[in-house]
Amino acid sequence: MKDIKPLLKERCISCHGTVKQKGDLRLDAGALIRPDVHQDLLERVASSEEDERMPPEGKRLSAEQIEMLRQWIAAGALFPRDEVIPKKPSEHWSFQPVQSPPLAASAFTHPIDAFVFGKREAAPKANPLALLRRIHLDLTGLPPTIQEQERFAKSGDMNAVINDLLTRPEYGERWARHWLDVVRYADSNGYERDAEKPFVWRYRDYVIESLNQDKPFDRFVLEQLAGDELPDRSVSSVIATGFLRLGHWDDEPADPETDRYDQLDDIVSTTGQAFLGLTIGCARCHDHKFEPLATRDYYSLVAVFNPLDRPTKGRKELTIPVDGAEVYAWSEPSAKAPETHVLVRGSPTRFGDLVEPAVPAILVKQQPQFPSGEKTTQRRLGLAQWIASEQNPLTARVIVNRVWQQHFGQGLVTTANDFGLMGATPAQPELLDWLAHWFMHDARWSLKRLHHLILTSRAWQMSKSSDSLMRYRRLEVEAIRDSMLAVSGQLNPKRFGPAMKPGIPKAALEANTDKEKVWQPSDEREASRRSIYAFIKRGLVIPMLETLDLADTVSSCPQRQVTTVAPQALSLFNGEFVNQQAQHFAARLKREAGDDPEKQITLAWKLALSREPSHDELTKMRAFLQEQPLEQACRVILNLNEFVYPE
Amino acid sequence: MNRREYLMRATGGFAGLALADLMAESPLSEKRPHFPVKAKHCVFLFMNGGPSQVDTFDPKPALKKYHGMPYHGDAKVGSNGRAVGHLMQSPFEFKKHGQSGLEISSLFPHTAMHADDLCVIRSMHADTAAHASGCLQMNTGSIFIGKPCLGSWLNYGLGTANQNLPGFVVMTDPRGGPIGSASNWTAGYMPAAYQGTLFRSGGSPLLDLATPEGTSDRTQRRSLDLLKSLNEEHLKRHPEETELMARIESYELAYRMQTEAMSVVDLDSEDAATREMYGLNDKRTADFGRKCLITRKLIEKGVRFIQLYSGGGHIEDTWDGHNDCITNHTLHAGETDQPIAALIADLKRTGLWEETLLVWGGEFGRTPTSEGVGKPGRDHDWHGFSMWMAGAGVKGGQAIGATDELGFKAIEDRCHVSDLHATILHLMGVDHSRLSYLHQGLNQRLTGVEDRRVITKVLA
Repeated sequence: MKDIKPLLKERCISCHGTVKQKGDLRLDAGALIRPDVHQDLLERVASSEEDERMPPEGKRLSAEQIEMLRQWIAAGALFPRDEVIPKKPSEHWSFQPVQSPPLAASAFTHPIDAFVFGKREAAPKANPLALLRRIHLDLTGLPPTIQEQERFAKSGDMNAVINDLLTRPEYGERWARHWLDVVRYADSNGYERDAEKPFVWRYRDYVIESLNQDKPFDRFVLEQLAGDELPDRSVSSVIATGFLRLGHWDDEPADPETDRYDQLDDIVSTTGQAFLGLTIGCARCHDHKFEPLATRDYYSLVAVFNPLDRPTKGRKELTIPVDGAEVYAWSEPSAKAPETHVLVRGSPTRFGDLVEPAVPAILVKQQPQFPSGEKTTQRRLGLAQWIASEQNPLTARVIVNRVWQQHFGQGLVTTANDFGLMGATPAQPELLDWLAHWFMHDARWSLKRLHHLILTSRAWQMSKSSDSLMRYRRLEVEAIRDSMLAVSGQLNPKRFGPAMKPGIPKAALEANTDKEKVWQPSDEREASRRSIYAFIKRGLVIPMLETLDLADTVSSCPQRQVTTVAPQALSLFNGEFVNQQAQHFAARLKREAGDDPEKQITLAWKLALSREPSHDELTKMRAFLQEQPLEQACRVILNLNEFVYPE
Repeated sequence: MNRREYLMRATGGFAGLALADLMAESPLSEKRPHFPVKAKHCVFLFMNGGPSQVDTFDPKPALKKYHGMPYHGDAKVGSNGRAVGHLMQSPFEFKKHGQSGLEISSLFPHTAMHADDLCVIRSMHADTAAHASGCLQMNTGSIFIGKPCLGSWLNYGLGTANQNLPGFVVMTDPRGGPIGSASNWTAGYMPAAYQGTLFRSGGSPLLDLATPEGTSDRTQRRSLDLLKSLNEEHLKRHPEETELMARIESYELAYRMQTEAMSVVDLDSEDAATREMYGLNDKRTADFGRKCLITRKLIEKGVRFIQLYSGGGHIEDTWDGHNDCITNHTLHAGETDQPIAALIADLKRTGLWEETLLVWGGEFGRTPTSEGVGKPGRDHDWHGFSMWMAGAGVKGGQAIGATDELGFKAIEDRCHVSDLHATILHLMGVDHSRLSYLHQGLNQRLTGVEDRRVITKVLA
């Protein structure tokens, strides 16, 4: 079986395996190969007739390979006793309805803790001030101020802190960025001209506002896919459909015929990953090799979006007017849908079967009804209603997992964009289901209630250790940059509106085609706004953000990478931004703590790390300040591991 | 003792922790190749804008005969909306060079001296007529943005020998970058650690490499020492966190990088003959010559992939000779020919030739017709164009494949851009069909999903 398995895997399983079982034959596990097919198997692979011979595509099996198969069968077709038999795709866990499992037996009353710890004991809670810093950074991306630390030291009321932070506008500014990662947000199109997407920032603002208003997640889904088709359509709900137009776009496509399908592919792929955790894009040219998704499923989704029209005039992109506002979105000019065909091998000139809008067959027993409309086809609304329904097995699980991942540094399912057969299995399936069920039925899709539930658990509040669920994880670059601005006192709280452009070193502009014109930086005050307002240019990503693992700007990013490389140290130690903030930080310390080095250091530690310096730290800092200026000490503090890795 | 235990113990005496163990955490540490390595380093000489094949490495006597006559073929000529002129003979004379008799035009008298080392591929073809998507395809294998570059794939697959320098270095033209800019050295969906690093040939070569203005070297060192000391105290509270250790080390690495990178751009120690050979004393060749000399030093230091751009910005500032291909190519070949020949000679002198692969070419070629009538410009031609490879593992002194009688379209031994990539990977010890990166549910490859092949005729 040792040599047989790889052979079957390479040549047979794409048609006779877990995903597809042509001729009702499965060869993906020895136990499934029935003795009555043995002879037929040998005859078919050795057949001299083209029509008979297996495999039908690619090279025929070599004489050695056929002999190997013959010997294996002759020896009784043995397979390992402990062989795991892959389940049928329709039995895959994430395609099953969300269950409401009973709470695990536990001394803990908090549902999450009951599942996580069961009858075990939990590690103690983290130090209160460390926890305060953790919670502030988690929810708002900013460290607690001195006043907030003092208030908490008096009250010790963590619940009040959580409730307070969830009502702050900074919460939306932090968590919107997580969603922008998932929806491949950028402010420009990429390619030669890399033109700015006009008014695309309104979509960014829409996400921030939606989170701050605690818009139910099912409604959030409906608006982004079909905000223009809703009965209570508003400017804001049309802005939401900007989601569909966030992708990269070549205004001079190499092949205009495929270009249309490339744009639709961007939408279908992103929709699949963002809302359903399915990598449906792989089924564009052929049935998905590893997932039960056929090209038919793919083009049925293309049919949903095919009525859309990208408003352009030559290379110039246009916005659509909605009640006097300019909105960056697609338009759907007619209720009559164009025909959509399966494209054979993805080729725009080889039309296969005609398809109607439908959802992936594996996920439903019966296709949902797609409505019909008078102004538009309402196809997107039909899809959105199915995605946002409580019957959908994926939507709630996927978003609950994303929120968990952001809080804990790692999801219950570690492949946040892939809940398919190739994705990871959940670490705690009952917990995930309980959360998803609770989220839909008890919390009524409220993200803030989900945050509250998670943050009040011991699992989240305990100190990090090797056996805790909390992963020690570097802050995202936006939170690092924003924290620096907050600590230095320079953070400009201005919200919303057109993006700002922080300075980019001249050296980084030299490699641009239009080095003189490509980047007009904002003044320092404007550039000191939160990083979510920074202009993300696909062809020229701000170096500090890029080197510190900003999300991929082209495709949906399920989780930030955390790499640790020398250019990050160069940027944070020698770069202009950090050195500027170190200057401001030092000035602030002198202003607020006077000339006494000990007071300066203590204040610095409180501002940057939400704690007092240890005796040892104080000694080291005092010695350093005897020969070096305070600005240098500040630069060191902004570079501390503890500054970017919250406890 | 498992790894975690080992690291926990090791942190008891952090200073004693071997750097090699820590670097095993690095995404750029060296990895095992798929098969025996012919080339350890690759230098990609990117002739940005698209050099004309019929004026460089693909002689077409028939163009003399048909000069001034219209083209009657069926394929689409030229890029979007530009005027199509008449067939135009090359003003540059082709001669046979070396023992092999490889034909090279008079644009490259210096490179021609190494004719027996060059393997010219005359049958390249690409999928696009536009610079942006063309450069992307040559660099990433795809006409769409967001995909990792050849250099990223090599560093992902093989790592790099010298952790004190980036493993994927890019040097652009002083006139500007290629169209699409950073999309041409991005790591795409891979971690940023694999992206190309811009390297300047003078001053401070890397972004943020220099100590900030007003900070003395002593202060810089003292500050780094303080940072390290405070971070090590913090680490004691989290001894199992290898990321924290790696981050401490990254500052030391950055510090060493400063010394190392500065020594690479310091060319004072090079003797007069070397400087002369690279053309550093001639205004025309000085910039590219400097880059070629720096390239040799980067190779000596173990850098995996180095890309040099000739031409930057738009049209005539690059090889994009729409208006006047004669003046254009005379300029750009004149700037690069001698430095490239010097690099070849110098690599041979230092013995690095045996482990270095050179690739020369642009994102596509140019039409055998003029652009418009009575104007010596040429438009884009992606149906057929020439590139050359030389060095480790390459069979020199030959031209493989062929374009049609006019040099318009590749007809014999057609080599797709992705075939070139497969061949480069092969020479570096990597199987293009096996090197993959899981993204969006698919094992992505540099050479994509189509069947691509190693161009075996290239191999020595």
